[in-house]
Amino acid sequence: MTDHDATTLHILNKHPDHTRFRACLDAMAPGDALLLIENAVLALADVAIPLPEVTYALQADCEARGLSAHRPREVEQLDYIGMTHLTDRFPRLISW
Amino acid sequence: MSETAVSAVPGYTIVITGAPYVSQAPATAFAFCRALLDSGHVVDRVFLYGDGVALASALNTPPSDETNWTDRWQELLVANGIPAIACIASALRRGLLNEQEAHRYERVAANLTGGFTIAGLGEWVEAVATSDRVIYFHGGA
Amino acid sequence: MSATQLIVIDTPPYGDWRGREALDMALSLAAFDRPVALLFRGEGVNWLRPGQEGSAISQKTVSRNLGAARMFGVAEVYADSLALERFAVNGPDPEAEAVVPNAAFYGDFSQVVQL
Repeated sequence: MTDHDATTLHILNKHPDHTRFRACLDAMAPGDALLLIENAVLALADVAIPLPEVTYALQADCEARGLSAHRPREVEQLDYIGMTHLTDRFPRLISW
Repeated sequence: MSETAVSAVPGYTIVITGAPYVSQAPATAFAFCRALLDSGHVVDRVFLYGDGVALASALNTPPSDETNWTDRWQELLVANGIPAIACIASALRRGLLNEQEAHRYERVAANLTGGFTIAGLGEWVEAVATSDRVIYFHGGA
Repeated sequence: MSATQLIVIDTPPYGDWRGREALDMALSLAAFDRPVALLFRGEGVNWLRPGQEGSAISQKTVSRNLGAARMFGVAEVYADSLALERFAVNGPDPEAEAVVPNAAFYGDFSQVVQL
């Protein structure tokens, strides 16, 4: 086990108005990380949406939606290899 | 997975529950699977469940200027020897059959594409018990 | 953290097959003697409403499958307390433990799966 032992990577693909979006944020514990993929990256365009401190976004999904270069908030963007590094680090993955 | 192989990286099972051309799930899962292989990971198996079984239909015929996710997945699975299973209960309900099931239920045709097999949820239970990581790609985004 | 897997159902009992297929996952784990729990969250709590009659829409009554779940070894059944209140599900059948699905709740399970 790694030093991330009980912590969780939450992988969220739902748009910000989907009930799963809020359910995911409610489930996050200290030390957990959030990865926004697919339509969840739309949250980067809405500064009113609270995002956890450790939030990543899939670069390809940001690029596809025009959110890569011009976005109102900064989170670290990952390519798919970067995503594998993240999923390697966390022993527990929850897809929302 | 074997006792003797000392691997620095975890092995993965990929579960796809969203259908192609309805959701992005098979596309995201494909890019992630390729990244796993490119970075030296072992993909233990791919499991299709619920709407995800639609990926394994040989009859999917997208327009020629769109990606054929069934063909791309099939190539990736076969080239890397990754076992891929469509859940039998999900598959039969949605009209995805192999030769054996088509014969058993006296249907006019079988449509399971190459590279995939049909089996029960026990395969998923096994994956959960043995893979270091199980990652789910859902639809409905 | 226990070795128990949590299967979450957050879709209504009819009009959508996701809940049924999630329940099948729970039943399958139980059939292989793996510890499994169920959580009905959000609209999913409508699974627990008594008096369902699926035959009215030519479907199985799914709450009966749920009744079978305990028999097949799904030991723990939880329900989102706020959603029970919101959808006026009283005296859930079968009896489910009302919980707040927060980080502390999910933290008790080895894996969390939702369709």
